[in-house]
Amino acid sequence: MTAPSHRLRFLAGLVLAGGLAAWLAHGFASDARRRVAADGEVRRAVVALRAVTSLVESSGGEGDGARRAVVAWQAGAPGVVQLRVARGMQLEASSAAGDAGGQAAPRRLAREEKPLYDRAQRIATAVRTNREEQGGRKDEVEVERLPSGGLSLAAPLDLDGAPVGIVELETAPLPPAPSTPWWPFLLAVLVPAAAFGLVMLLAGQRRAVLAVAATFLLAASLFVLSRGTVARIGEERRQAAASVAERVREQASLVRSASVSLGLPASAADPAGWDVDPFRRPRGEVASDGSVVETRREAAVEEEVRHLGRSLLAAALLALALLLLLGLGAFHRLGRTIKVNRQAYVYIAPALLGMMVLVFYPFTYGITLSFTDSNIYNTQKPLADLWVGLRNYGDILGDFAFAKKVEGGFVFNYLNFYWTLLFNVFWTVTNVTIGVTSGLLLALVLNTRALALRPVYRVLLILPWAMPNYITALIWKGMFHQQFGIINQLFQMVGLQAVNWFDHPFTSFLAALTTNAWLSFPFMMVVSLGALQSIPADLYEAARVDGASRWQAFRAITLPSLRPALVPAVILSVVWTFNMFNIIYLVTAGDPGGSTEILITQAYKFAFERYRYGYAAAYSVVIFGILLVYGVFQNRYSKATEA
Amino acid sequence: MQSRLDRLFAVLLALAVLAGAPLPASAETEVLVWHAYRAAEKAAIEKVAAAYSASHPGVKVTTLAVPYDAFADKISAAVPRGKGPDVFIYAQDRLGGWIEAGNTVEPVDFFLDKPTRDRFIPSTLDAVTYKGTVYGLPVNYKVITLIYNKKLVTTPPRTSTELVATAKKLTDKAAGRFGLAYWYSDYYYHAALQNAFGGRVFEKGTAKPVLNAPENVKGLDLLVKWIDEGILPAEPSTALITALFNQGKAAMIFTGPWFLGEIAPEIDYGLAQLPTLAEAGNAPMRPWMTVEGAYIAAPSKNKDVAYDFVKYLTDRDGARIMALEGRQSPSNKAIYDDPKVAADPVLKAFRTQVEVAVPMPNLAEMTMVWSPATIMMASVAKRSTPPKAAADKAQAEVLKSLSELRRK
Repeated sequence: MTAPSHRLRFLAGLVLAGGLAAWLAHGFASDARRRVAADGEVRRAVVALRAVTSLVESSGGEGDGARRAVVAWQAGAPGVVQLRVARGMQLEASSAAGDAGGQAAPRRLAREEKPLYDRAQRIATAVRTNREEQGGRKDEVEVERLPSGGLSLAAPLDLDGAPVGIVELETAPLPPAPSTPWWPFLLAVLVPAAAFGLVMLLAGQRRAVLAVAATFLLAASLFVLSRGTVARIGEERRQAAASVAERVREQASLVRSASVSLGLPASAADPAGWDVDPFRRPRGEVASDGSVVETRREAAVEEEVRHLGRSLLAAALLALALLLLLGLGAFHRLGRTIKVNRQAYVYIAPALLGMMVLVFYPFTYGITLSFTDSNIYNTQKPLADLWVGLRNYGDILGDFAFAKKVEGGFVFNYLNFYWTLLFNVFWTVTNVTIGVTSGLLLALVLNTRALALRPVYRVLLILPWAMPNYITALIWKGMFHQQFGIINQLFQMVGLQAVNWFDHPFTSFLAALTTNAWLSFPFMMVVSLGALQSIPADLYEAARVDGASRWQAFRAITLPSLRPALVPAVILSVVWTFNMFNIIYLVTAGDPGGSTEILITQAYKFAFERYRYGYAAAYSVVIFGILLVYGVFQNRYSKATEA
Repeated sequence: MQSRLDRLFAVLLALAVLAGAPLPASAETEVLVWHAYRAAEKAAIEKVAAAYSASHPGVKVTTLAVPYDAFADKISAAVPRGKGPDVFIYAQDRLGGWIEAGNTVEPVDFFLDKPTRDRFIPSTLDAVTYKGTVYGLPVNYKVITLIYNKKLVTTPPRTSTELVATAKKLTDKAAGRFGLAYWYSDYYYHAALQNAFGGRVFEKGTAKPVLNAPENVKGLDLLVKWIDEGILPAEPSTALITALFNQGKAAMIFTGPWFLGEIAPEIDYGLAQLPTLAEAGNAPMRPWMTVEGAYIAAPSKNKDVAYDFVKYLTDRDGARIMALEGRQSPSNKAIYDDPKVAADPVLKAFRTQVEVAVPMPNLAEMTMVWSPATIMMASVAKRSTPPKAAADKAQAEVLKSLSELRRK
């Protein structure tokens, strides 16, 4: 078999991986440029909107004063298509083309203007909510892109510190987004490829040399490319800041002159407060006199550039990995196996597709969600905006305060992860022990050949298993009722006190344990019974001949023969019990105070009662991790027992 | 072979084009209404829809019954993607969550003129108002009231002193008989006590939780007093209350209209207003009310027609059908002057009770309250924690989960 040329493979790898990296980098770079440009446009429009708002506010915010202010301002503000001021159901002022003559403000809002009214209501609510919660959760300045390509912005009209209306501004279509040229990115592929051509001639077929050279060339070229791109974006961000500052100066002089011509008192508004974020918090990049605050601007540039740099680094790493995989022949080998085992791959393709959609996608989504702060307030935002890194994991695993010492004992924090984990492990161990012991005992009894009505017992004992477990759980919950449950009534019949089962963690646990024991012994019994029946009777006969006692026979024959059947059953049963949602949720419901919660029910409560989806996802990933570790160890152990 | 494949593709393509092609637009405007009603209520809303369609040529209102359990989740999933109904009817407790999630409920503040506003019992309109904006029209309300077994109680108690005295007389714990039974360990039922003292979950007009307000603690204290009187069964639940009342072992219960269908036919029952509380300066017990609002879906294409239908549904004609045939308590004030409605003792009783009822909070934050409040109620009802400590703990927990939620 002729060895495929390493040289060609590396060259192809270099071109393909370089092409991929260049394509991704171009995408990231043009996204960043578009974002910087659009942010600049939005900020400039917001400055204009805030400036006219301050003028309208100082004119009293209503009546002819407001209308004159709008007219005076718009005369000096090019690029503004229309401006509307609304208070409640009233249109106070409007410079829209249709609002002239009979339609001129002031008038009641028309049906088509419902969006304006709703917007005013929404913004007023946002202002009140943000004030009350001392933070920014809802947008106070709304920006929307119009189909025409312009922007529609709205900001609250404040009088005496309370939102009374809305000022809405529509800009002319924005200039088209800057396009990013392709040539630097093409060069970043072609130059290393050409250089590698030279290396190929010198190095021949030595694989190590080729690998190092290709990696180095690609890495160097991508490094140069990303440095250039980042520098360029940083420069554009600086220009955007400068243009916003210019707009602030322009608007400041416009508002001043309009105030003078209208005979209004000089506006008290600080132009530095015009360049704001959606929560109306000043960005601080522009000073009151309209100059750029360099330190703040550089911090913003830094932020923008770091974001881009990280994406570019990821693209480069991906490309290098691809290069090495291609160059070292991994794809070649994969292609060959697919070709050789074509039929097998075709057969598993539907299942693979199903797994992708039904298993891997939700699984990946869950893991991604666990790194975010997704909750009921922000489900509509993209996950990337909610990224919090490992914070959820830190909160879950880093909180060791599960018990607090008070006088006369400890107080447990039942919401703590480690308490729940401890309880979960205890719950699993006790349940499996009881299940195995009782199942095995019953199986031994049923295995007695002389027992009358054996099939009847067997069917009866399997019944608990045949019933859906939530029905069993609800029945047991009823039986544990303090006043009307049969268990307490039996207690009282024999002169005992009625027990308030769900009042104390231990009794609550006992109730759940009893229910689960009832549900779990039939499975163990069936497994053991099957295994018992497969033990040859002559073994026991031989033991008897040798004079072994029944206990000795049990230890030396029965238990070892049961092992291959019992070990997998125990493994399964541990996993089931560990995640036995129905019993805990329905019988104890975590009572009292969440003390008898297991991890899976706790995760459910975090997701659907506290609405912290990201946190709950992290919780689930931790549960998955625990079971994975358990599975791996158990697998090793059981393999060892098989041998 | 090749050509056959080509032809197959051509056919598939043609089918795809056909499937995607818009159907010829019909002249009728169709308004789709989702509700979670069954039986009589379902028949009533269908009748209202038919009546509206008949009197408004060019408009067709279709109703679809969606199972109650799945209703809210279906709305959350379908409506923001523009796949849902034009109008949907649901209790106000999920309203805040839908509004926060966005693009689900259309505000109707703009449409709402004075006569329409004045048509409703004011508190029912408050229930569908979220942070100052009206998001739907209230269709009906449900409220807890006093239901008593006429065989055991001749005159229903008017004050808490009478209530306890009557209940004590009728309680025989050994025989499992109780003078008073209600699901007192549930926060919803307990709220009637708390509200009588002026208690509340959130500070008025804000989303600031105050579960441990002194008034709330007073409500819990009174509950503890009642429990200690021995007039209430332990570990109450709806199943237990139903069983006790139907066996004639509970003389008086606090419950709402949903319970009426559960009462055994041989029980002769009466309805009365919840008593006033001597402990709260003779203030009446003020139960929470749940209001079913008719909301317009934000992505709906026929909002004007949809609003017109909702207006019709809550107007005299619609409300009359919903009351007399659907057995609902309409939020429309005027309907209670209708002779047939006025003659109905059940509707009348709830109408009297609703006067003092308080809308259950519709804030999204309310979902964070239920679980700590349930723990608080359980520990107080079992007498394992003193009321103040339980309320403080619940408050701390709500604050914690809210701060975690609002962290970013």
